[in-house]
Amino acid sequence: METYLSKEVFSQISPSEFFYRNRDLAGFSNPTRSLYTSVREFVENALDACDHRKILPDIHLSIKAVNPEQADPKHYILTVKDNGPGIDPEHIPLAFGTVLYGSKFGLKQARGMFGLGATMAILYGQITTNKPVTVKSCSDGKSLDEFVMLLDIQKNKPVIQKHTTKEGSKTGLTVSIVLEGDYSKAGSKIRDYVYQTSLITPYASITFEDPSGEKFHYARIVKDMPRPPTVIKPHPHGIDVETIRRMITDTHYQIPTIDNKMIDKVKKELSLKKNLSPKEILERAQKRWSDISKPVRTVISVMSFLNIDFEGLQKIRIDDIDVANKTITYWDFGESQSHAVELSPESPYYKQLASTVQGDTLLTFLTKRFQRVGPTTAEKFCEFAKFKPDKRIGSMTNEELVKLADALQKFEEFLAPDPSCLAPLGEEPLSKGIMKFFNPEFAAVWQRNASAYSGFPFVVEMGIAYGGDIPPNGLKVYRFANRIPLLYDEGSDVVLKIVNETEWTRYKIKGDPPLVIVSHICSTRIPYKTVGKENVADRPELERELKNALQYLARKLAVHMSRQGAADMAKKRANLYSKYVPLIAQFATELAGKKKEPNYNQLIRMGSEIEEQV
Amino acid sequence: MKNKSSAKTAETRKKRLLSMLEQQGLSIYENLDKGKFPQFVIPSRSVSNIVYDKKIRQYILGSANAVRSSRNMSQLRSYTQLAWLAFFVNRLVREGKSSTLRDIYYSSQAFSIDFEDQPESDNIIVDLEAVLTSPREEFHIFPEERSSVFGDLTIEYTVPGYEGKRMNLSDHPDGYLIGPSLSSAELVDTSAELVIAIEKGGLFTRFVEEKVHKKFKAIIVDTAGQAPRSTRNLLRRLNTEMGLPVVILADGDVYGEHIAMVIKSGSANAAHLRELTVPDAKWLGVWATDIEKYKLPTIPMTESDIKRIYDLQKDPRYQEGNWKKQLEVFLKLKRKAELEAFSKYGLTNITDKYLPAKLEESKSF
Repeated sequence: METYLSKEVFSQISPSEFFYRNRDLAGFSNPTRSLYTSVREFVENALDACDHRKILPDIHLSIKAVNPEQADPKHYILTVKDNGPGIDPEHIPLAFGTVLYGSKFGLKQARGMFGLGATMAILYGQITTNKPVTVKSCSDGKSLDEFVMLLDIQKNKPVIQKHTTKEGSKTGLTVSIVLEGDYSKAGSKIRDYVYQTSLITPYASITFEDPSGEKFHYARIVKDMPRPPTVIKPHPHGIDVETIRRMITDTHYQIPTIDNKMIDKVKKELSLKKNLSPKEILERAQKRWSDISKPVRTVISVMSFLNIDFEGLQKIRIDDIDVANKTITYWDFGESQSHAVELSPESPYYKQLASTVQGDTLLTFLTKRFQRVGPTTAEKFCEFAKFKPDKRIGSMTNEELVKLADALQKFEEFLAPDPSCLAPLGEEPLSKGIMKFFNPEFAAVWQRNASAYSGFPFVVEMGIAYGGDIPPNGLKVYRFANRIPLLYDEGSDVVLKIVNETEWTRYKIKGDPPLVIVSHICSTRIPYKTVGKENVADRPELERELKNALQYLARKLAVHMSRQGAADMAKKRANLYSKYVPLIAQFATELAGKKKEPNYNQLIRMGSEIEEQV
Repeated sequence: MKNKSSAKTAETRKKRLLSMLEQQGLSIYENLDKGKFPQFVIPSRSVSNIVYDKKIRQYILGSANAVRSSRNMSQLRSYTQLAWLAFFVNRLVREGKSSTLRDIYYSSQAFSIDFEDQPESDNIIVDLEAVLTSPREEFHIFPEERSSVFGDLTIEYTVPGYEGKRMNLSDHPDGYLIGPSLSSAELVDTSAELVIAIEKGGLFTRFVEEKVHKKFKAIIVDTAGQAPRSTRNLLRRLNTEMGLPVVILADGDVYGEHIAMVIKSGSANAAHLRELTVPDAKWLGVWATDIEKYKLPTIPMTESDIKRIYDLQKDPRYQEGNWKKQLEVFLKLKRKAELEAFSKYGLTNITDKYLPAKLEESKSF
């Protein structure tokens, strides 16, 4: 769902309305699930933040009841503290006080998708308890900023209730919300989540303090962090119409978002100190036209057509620039209504807006915006798709966009997706984690080579552990995707399907074995079956990789089992013959009427050595 | 008075048994010494290996053998159990001690022989019976249930402490338990001319009270239902050693008929054993035809009674003659009568009227 969110959706409904419409999908359907989801969102944000800056994560999670005497569901204080890079104080209000602020629009492997979840949790907390969110951040190692904020749901703007700055010493971020939750029901899932997160993040130290004050501490097992994922451009096969539309409007050539930050930028580039009239602003801009940046030029052009100053600009939102019909449409917050203004082609600013909106040529768009597409491939593609290479992408009609997206899917000469954006955990850390967590008698891990489905690269890594401290309760599967444990909807998951289809007796595994399987799928887009993101769909490419990994590991286990089996059998034989042969000798001696026992040592030795008879 | 012709039969059998046990022991001993895995050859008791031998008129085992080898790890435990039992039986027989099935199960524990349960040890006992083709009573192992004997029969004990002591089995009106000491005793002499085996304790007492032993010159044996092996063995010895004919009185139903048949020709369960049958024994009654003839009060047969008739009709021994005919009449009547049914006509009716009539009739079978 989040993948397809676009600005258009948000311009039509308020964020709180959006939240209500999507709370089930986002995992906030009831107090139990909401508490669990909130924990996940904050912990995953914290881990992501540390990963990006290559900081060994140190995460503290605590859940405290506001009034412990009360029965569930009740209000809880959820606090997550990390040692990550922190957030600049100036960004904090926007990052935590508005819906849809975030930087995760690039294509790389990350735990969360858009950073939306944390805001959803804050919003959920505010709606259920009317309590503010507290954010403490230190990003420079010197000062610690604390914000207490509410979210103005109508305006989608933060309302800062308190902001203090103190001396700080370590970077990091602490987020604390009050929310309605049900720990009595969510507790076991949250503990599982923390446990499994620690397993797949062996380079992190994670502490969880539950409402009763009990502490669950998972120490760091490995000190090396896996290589962080890099941001890469999308692969043409992994693109649909909606994504192309977003890429086009999301380019440098789009109409810039006109917020306070942008207005500051315009003022700065024009060296404006005081408020000027629209006319004076345009005069200033014309003098410096060659020095100012493209987005600023666009803003100036818009101002010229609408004939407004900065104050006016803050009260509106540009909805559409329709070059074909030569109109610009905007929404006036003050009047709460939409206006359309005609664009005069004679105006010198018309060309600026037109080229901004029409954007790059298709050829440039393909080579610049997609991975592994060079000019030659791009030209071949244009021929294949029957587009002119110099066609401006901004001028494409809906039909043309559909045709383009379709052709991108069908063209077979694109190179395979680049897996460099993936960050699997790696065999060694995975293996160490498994050894530490399960202390098994046998363990093996395997990381498969990168593969791809529909333009999305993915890597499967898997571990198997047998015996030792693992209880003989039957096979247990730990599923992970992009270093997130998947705890719900186990039954319909592709990994479970593969495991259940395996004939374990062929690998000498019977009954309720003390067996653990750890499966980790890394991808820029995990093919989740449902929006709840708890079960992975059975894409054939993914299924094949999982099957190969599991078979490889199962064969290794089978070798171990037969070695173990043979050793056990020999031991059992030796024990049996040592026990019974002397007895037989004793009985036979008396039966035969002899005094001295026969020499049976040779027979005990032989009994221990002979092969099992079939 | 009939005197026993062959001397000291019990003693001979004991010697034969001890010799077989020693042979087994020597064989195991030598194998162990040579570094070979000893094994027992046990006649197979599987259903496919049980056949009816018309010549000797009993079920016997076919020629199939099972080998229990100490080489096979899965048989090592039961091999050892069997070796222990041979060893323990050797002690019992040598020292003239007796044991029971249950006692064997418990005794094993003192020798680190672990039987899971009594059925397992019971099975090993049957294995040894098959290996040595001797009933467990010769091993001095007895079941818990007992039946009794009464009549003018003089025996001579062979059990330790009583060796040579003689005893007449008509001195005590409750009868004498057919236990280990009686089973191992020598049969010395008797004035009886007949053995009457009767299914029920109540009627056994009545027979003693009515002095049937005198009136008919009989030894009376209470089989207490299906006759235990020691009882069947005693009946056989009375027949073969003392030359007495054996007649059987049982309830007028299909089970009664089969009690008579088992005394006469053994059971499939004991197909590995001989010397438990009395091939010339005669089933006096109560026959199905007697029910009508003597106008006995009856009760209806149950489902399982009827099923039992169909089962027995498949048995080769019920394919001809009176055995076959009575089954058919039972099936036609679908009613049965117990021995006590004669009480309707007076408590002594069975001894005064029925028994003499049937004995007379039996002369012609």
